[in-house]
Amino acid sequence: MRKLSLLVLLGAVAVFLMGCPKPPPPPPEEPVVAEPEPEPEPPEPEPKPEPEPEPVLITEADFVIVYFDFDKYNLVDSAKAALDNNARVLKENPNVVIMIEGHCDERGTIEYNLSLGEKRASSAMQYLVDLGINAARLKTISYGKEKPAMPGHNEAAWAKNRRAEFKVMSQ
Amino acid sequence: MRKPLLLSALFSFTLLALSASAQTGLTVRDVQGRLKPKSTFEPTKISVEDNRYVGIDSISYADTVILRNCSAILRKDLDFSPFFEMVLLDSFFLRHMELTEMTMLGWKRLGSQYLVKLETEFPRDRIRTRYRLFSVETGREIRKKRFEIQKQEYRALVHSIANDIVKTLTGDEGIYLTHVVYIKQIDSTKELFMADYDGYSEQQLTSNGSINISPAASPDGEYIFFTSYADGEPKLYMLTLKNGRIDLIANHPGINAAPAVSPDGKTVACVLSRDGNSEIYLIDRKGKIKKRLTRSRSIESSPTWSPDGKELAFTSDRAGSPQIYIMDSEGLNVRRLTYQGRYNDSPCWSPQGDRIIFVTREGRFLIASIDVTGKDFRILTDLGNNENPHFSPDGNHVIFTSNRLGPTEVYTMDLFGNSQRRLTVRGGFSNPIWLPEKK
Repeated sequence: MRKLSLLVLLGAVAVFLMGCPKPPPPPPEEPVVAEPEPEPEPPEPEPKPEPEPEPVLITEADFVIVYFDFDKYNLVDSAKAALDNNARVLKENPNVVIMIEGHCDERGTIEYNLSLGEKRASSAMQYLVDLGINAARLKTISYGKEKPAMPGHNEAAWAKNRRAEFKVMSQ
Repeated sequence: MRKPLLLSALFSFTLLALSASAQTGLTVRDVQGRLKPKSTFEPTKISVEDNRYVGIDSISYADTVILRNCSAILRKDLDFSPFFEMVLLDSFFLRHMELTEMTMLGWKRLGSQYLVKLETEFPRDRIRTRYRLFSVETGREIRKKRFEIQKQEYRALVHSIANDIVKTLTGDEGIYLTHVVYIKQIDSTKELFMADYDGYSEQQLTSNGSINISPAASPDGEYIFFTSYADGEPKLYMLTLKNGRIDLIANHPGINAAPAVSPDGKTVACVLSRDGNSEIYLIDRKGKIKKRLTRSRSIESSPTWSPDGKELAFTSDRAGSPQIYIMDSEGLNVRRLTYQGRYNDSPCWSPQGDRIIFVTREGRFLIASIDVTGKDFRILTDLGNNENPHFSPDGNHVIFTSNRLGPTEVYTMDLFGNSQRRLTVRGGFSNPIWLPEKK
């Protein structure tokens, strides 16, 4: 009821303002009552521009993680398949710039793994460049064995940690 | 950063003016100064009597604890040396020998060759200890010396006594007042810490909440070079120990890692990947590149200097697996050092120049030692995975990490792999290094 009277008031004010030059004819009460239905609708569609940014934002999840063998930085077939997918994502989204992170499992020394992680990131980057991706869109960093994806001290964990991850820098 | 040691030797003389080795028969080095293999000498048996209070006033309980700790620390110090073996006393022997307290003859019957007696008093807030070293064989006093320090610094006082005993009996400088630096993981961060050689008096050196790795000390022990992700990427920094100041040294694209300071302190060997691949470079202490030493498509890592500064050992996988190589400081005359197994990494050159310790993989990762000629390969650890071996300044000890009990902890051992001791608890440790003795 309160809402109704508010609307009546608002309507009255609106009509009063719009009809400034002319002396406003006293508004009939019935049409005002009928108005509330169409009125509240416009505010709702306002926050609706969801469909507008149709190009969906690229996230890390759109890229497939590339895995490596122990103490290796060459790309096995599954790694190439992952990179083929990632190249496609990059081609479909030409503004995306990514950081390729090279990681290692916990075995071996910190310093050697830092270099190995660098090699892994570079291998992945070179493959993408060979597929026609502009090198300026690809940056690399090595974390060595400092940021394992899985804790654990067994082959299952190690296999998940010898990897190159793709992080979106800008798009 | 390090507490100044205010040790004052008030009173000191030697009864015998002969050289240490002539005096004791303890020759641990050959004519070239290399350590003799342990099998060629018997460790000298030494005993430390309980610290005796010689003050006038009645002693407080807190002081009796210090009194007792002093003899315990000295026993632990001397036992740490590869050249000594502690002979301990227990009540069984006293009863068996029908003695109420130990005599020189008693120690002789237990097999001790040398005996240390401690006498301590506590003038005000200080501790003053006189140590006396006896030859058990002759019963004669070889040396006595008095040390004094602030009472809360009593550990340093005992370490000074241990240094003096080692110097007297072996001629070598003791390492008991040296410090170690290591990386400790705290949640997802890794920070630099420093502690006494025995793991006591730990203090935090960095607190940037990032990942810090691979510390290396300058030869004067004043600066620590290390790699940090504090700024997002692995860059090389220098920490000044006396004031905690941290300067950015090398900031090339890619990794700036694995620093090793040359023996003259002027050059830092390190790994840069500015051309897309890890190579070993020499830079000055401001980060300016002086020379690129390696040029290959493989991984080059972990440089370590020979003590004369003429050569470097490093890791390379140019032959398909990580192996240790030696080159001169111009990057020439490269030779492969290791052929054992498919994984040899993390070399550290001994201060005497004769050996290199490193990590080898035989299923697990083990600490190994090899002569610089490539002969005499030895494995020094047999438990767990072991990493990052680093020599003590006297070359008689090695500090490393091991996960033999589960968590990764810092350990020390002598260069023969004996007396392996754990320094840390709760795990998460890496990259331990032994700081040079401060001049």
